[in-house]
Amino acid sequence: MTALHAESRLRRAGAARAAAFMAVLAVLPFLFNQHWQVNLLVFTVMYAGLASAWNLLGGYAGYPALGHGAFFGLGAYAMAIGAGHLGAGAGYRPFLLVPLIALGTAIVVAPIARVLLRTRAVAFAVLSITVMFMVQTLAYNIRGLTGGSQGLALPIAPFDAATFERPYYFAMAVLLVVTVGVCWVVRTSKLGLALNAVRDDEDRARGLGVQTETVKLLAFVLSAGLTAAFGAVWAYYISYIVPGFAFDPLLSLVAVLMAFLGGRTTLWGPITGAVLVGPAQQYFAYRFGASQLYLIAYAALFLLVIYLLPDGVIPSASRYLDRARTAYRSRATRRDRPDQVPMEPVPPRGGRG
Amino acid sequence: MRTMRSTVRRSVWAVPVCLAALAAGACSASPASSQGAGRSSSPLVVGVSMSLSGDLADLAGPAEKGYQLWADTVNAQGGLLGRKVSLKFVDDASNPTQAVTNYENLITADHVDLVFGPFSSLLTIPAASVASRYGYAFIEPSGGAPQVFALHLKNLFLAQPAPILSSADAFADYILSLPVDQRPKTAAYPTADDPFTSAIIARIQQRLQAAGIKTVYSQTYAAETVDLSPVVTRLVSDKPDLIVSGTGGADAVAEVKGMVQAHWTPKFLFFTGGPNDPTFPSQVGAGNVNGIFSSTDWIPQAKTAGNAAFIQAYIAKYGGTAAGIDAAAAEAYACGQLLQLVAQRTGKIDNATIISALHSGTWPTVEGNLTWDAYGSPQGADDVVQWVGGQLLPVYPQSAALASPIALPSWAG
Amino acid sequence: MHLFLQATIAGILIGGVYALLASGQAMIFGVARTVNFAQAIFAILSAYLSYTLFGDLGIDPFLSVLILIPVMFALGYVIYAVLLRPLNKSSAELGLLVLYALAIGIQGVLDFTYQTNIRVIAPAYANYSWTVAGYQIPEVRFFAFLLAVVVLGALHLIRQYTKLGRALRATSQNPVAARLLGVDVDRISAVGMGLGVASAAAAGAAFGMVIPFNGNSQYDLLSKLLSIGVLGGMASMPGTIVAAVILGVVESVVAATISPDWSAFSFLVVLFAVLTVRPQGLFGRQLRGEL
Repeated sequence: MTALHAESRLRRAGAARAAAFMAVLAVLPFLFNQHWQVNLLVFTVMYAGLASAWNLLGGYAGYPALGHGAFFGLGAYAMAIGAGHLGAGAGYRPFLLVPLIALGTAIVVAPIARVLLRTRAVAFAVLSITVMFMVQTLAYNIRGLTGGSQGLALPIAPFDAATFERPYYFAMAVLLVVTVGVCWVVRTSKLGLALNAVRDDEDRARGLGVQTETVKLLAFVLSAGLTAAFGAVWAYYISYIVPGFAFDPLLSLVAVLMAFLGGRTTLWGPITGAVLVGPAQQYFAYRFGASQLYLIAYAALFLLVIYLLPDGVIPSASRYLDRARTAYRSRATRRDRPDQVPMEPVPPRGGRG
Repeated sequence: MRTMRSTVRRSVWAVPVCLAALAAGACSASPASSQGAGRSSSPLVVGVSMSLSGDLADLAGPAEKGYQLWADTVNAQGGLLGRKVSLKFVDDASNPTQAVTNYENLITADHVDLVFGPFSSLLTIPAASVASRYGYAFIEPSGGAPQVFALHLKNLFLAQPAPILSSADAFADYILSLPVDQRPKTAAYPTADDPFTSAIIARIQQRLQAAGIKTVYSQTYAAETVDLSPVVTRLVSDKPDLIVSGTGGADAVAEVKGMVQAHWTPKFLFFTGGPNDPTFPSQVGAGNVNGIFSSTDWIPQAKTAGNAAFIQAYIAKYGGTAAGIDAAAAEAYACGQLLQLVAQRTGKIDNATIISALHSGTWPTVEGNLTWDAYGSPQGADDVVQWVGGQLLPVYPQSAALASPIALPSWAG
Repeated sequence: MHLFLQATIAGILIGGVYALLASGQAMIFGVARTVNFAQAIFAILSAYLSYTLFGDLGIDPFLSVLILIPVMFALGYVIYAVLLRPLNKSSAELGLLVLYALAIGIQGVLDFTYQTNIRVIAPAYANYSWTVAGYQIPEVRFFAFLLAVVVLGALHLIRQYTKLGRALRATSQNPVAARLLGVDVDRISAVGMGLGVASAAAAGAAFGMVIPFNGNSQYDLLSKLLSIGVLGGMASMPGTIVAAVILGVVESVVAATISPDWSAFSFLVVLFAVLTVRPQGLFGRQLRGEL
């Protein structure tokens, strides 16, 4: 099999998977069409996107950003202010603002990112949270623009009440596809390789000639811009935002949790994490009312993941399947061709691939 | 690239896993469907988003008691049109986003028959639009800020005698009614950033400034602020004659304690919220309450429809004294009374009937005889209340006063 | 001017309590190599416990510190031994995430137990203040400052003049060398964490009297702690103390003279300005990837 043949096989398989994914996304709100179900889908798809966007910086580059709530909130407020200018009855037009908001956030964030990226690991995490609190404070204080503690109302869209949530779902789904697409392009390109190198050993990578500053910045602004896009759609959906919840430290942590749970180094990991945690969170938040219980649940889940599944569900499960497959193959070979028992492959470190 | 390909292939099964988990989540989370309105012997379910936790929990707590008391009372009398009333409370954690989600779920997932509004203008503003979208009547106990009525919703009705701006006007009227030599010369306006407090403060400030009372300090602080010491430091330093403070409750207590500790008293002290809480004297010290002004929509002494029975039933169910009943309980009770009256007057209890019926006529409740304009703003007026001799009593206007206004005793020393 | 000085006095008094809390964090950073994201919630936990001891048993909050310090010391010790030590080989980030998750979990438990109503510990003397040369000195804040000074002094004495202290400093500077020299690094690290959390215990009881709190107050406090740590240098005790007092004063002065809303923000601006010039903070060591 030539390399070219293998690569086109890969591309066809990848394209098929992408098509299947999009088909599933498109069909879901028709399969589960009750209001509360579509609402659940909106949030789950949003979390899947947030976790994937975070993963560009936190997983691929290895920079543990804990303040992504800042970008989410920026997107939310940008949408609130923008949609407010468009006025009531704007319908679908606010959705057109979303790419502008993503781009705008990426540009605005770039200089701040430059400062933050001078630090690493623990210091970086600390500063990213600090930035989030700073932006939250701005939202509280610049009352003329943001409404302060009283919040901002967005125009209510004149969508049909029976299928009110559907446009928002599709907006989120499109964003998710874009995000996954961006992740995939990054992974399979030189940028992905460079980010991997930064994650493993940044100084050595720089020594080898990798443009570490550029690739880090790129990962950061991509991550921030995409996160802001989700925030923008969320704001339009919720129709009323306040600083305390548009800039929610818990939201940052949830995205991190989902990426960790699913597997920071994989493409589908963050989505898996979101699908596993998201509906449960919405369900608990409504049914059991008391927000305290799901704080404890989050914490417990996070600790479990860190101690039992440090690489995440997908890589751990993949490793498990790998070992099972190899054991099966080796048993079969031992049976049929005793002279060709394959060696146990060394499990890939950290499930990287 | 062999490693990546195998990972890519291996993670294919993630997609069906995702779907399966999603489907499982969706199915397991399916709610119990409730009977639709119309079946005559099924319970009448009223959904309410309550601030059971979060910043507003202290203030909203009595509302839950008020609702429950009303439900018990009306059920003891046979229910509404033969149907027992069942209340469904959901916690919104004082979060407007959660309140919106709650009403969405109550209406579209739980299919409740009716809803009552949440606590505070902050939560009412977004929640009312949701109810309106689905055609539900929105009788609400405590959202009286101008922004609530600016929504121009035909389904909304505030169960209080007047919108909050009326209390602002009442106090401004009182100050301006004083002879010029007794009036304050300077004033300070610290307020929390909240639709309720800032609207009142802004109105009072506008009227008093126009009358020549100088503003020495004006500050809006984030609603979540708990440490009021910088505000107190500033007040003690600027020494205004009058302090008009936009507070929810805890901040009022903090301000009073701060001024007591600094041994300084203004001549006039008005809080939008806090002094009308029955626990206020125990929080600031019983010796420190007299002379403090506030506004309220209900007092135990009011001779309003069903008030005596309400107080009696409340004490029977929850203990305590009449003075210990929070106005929030009365507001909630009044919401229920309105439903009862609609049922009595029209023989029906569906949302469309409620909306059309309440827009005409007068509706007597413990909160007073209520009427509304087209957008739910009540047409009555508020009184100024003051702590006099350990009781919160109306002192202005004279027609409604149960006591004369007193001067604020000094806290110095 | 009077306002400015009054605010400065208030700032120094509260800065002392911040310094105590932040020193605990610095000590933990030295031995565990990670920022204790749970330091704020530990302080609040201590505040709630002190509140309960005062409300139910009538124990004065300053006296309750005597009970809380050993209890929280044990808590810190156990947390290090059970949660952080197994992670030692992995990156510092995991430790940070573990502590963050722990902070959220503890907040959940506190919210569940105490509800989210705002509380404040109010002993009788909380309403009194002295007037010195025309300036107010609230009794509670003054005693809180004294408590901070006493505990910080004790910590300093331990670190400088005891064998334990020497071992702590050695572990903080170079754990491998310390181990080679016979220091039981694991046990010493656990003790260090215990001491750090015990500082939070003392600071928490003091806070509970001065600033009304609930579970959610941890984010505000954490934000201040992080700023102090970054400005002062994460592992430097003197740096932390100086940064804490600076924070207290800047916040208090800005709050009184300009607006309470901009007080925390102004400090963050100062912080960012310093960081663009000196990424390691004012006193921090130039460590790879660390502050």
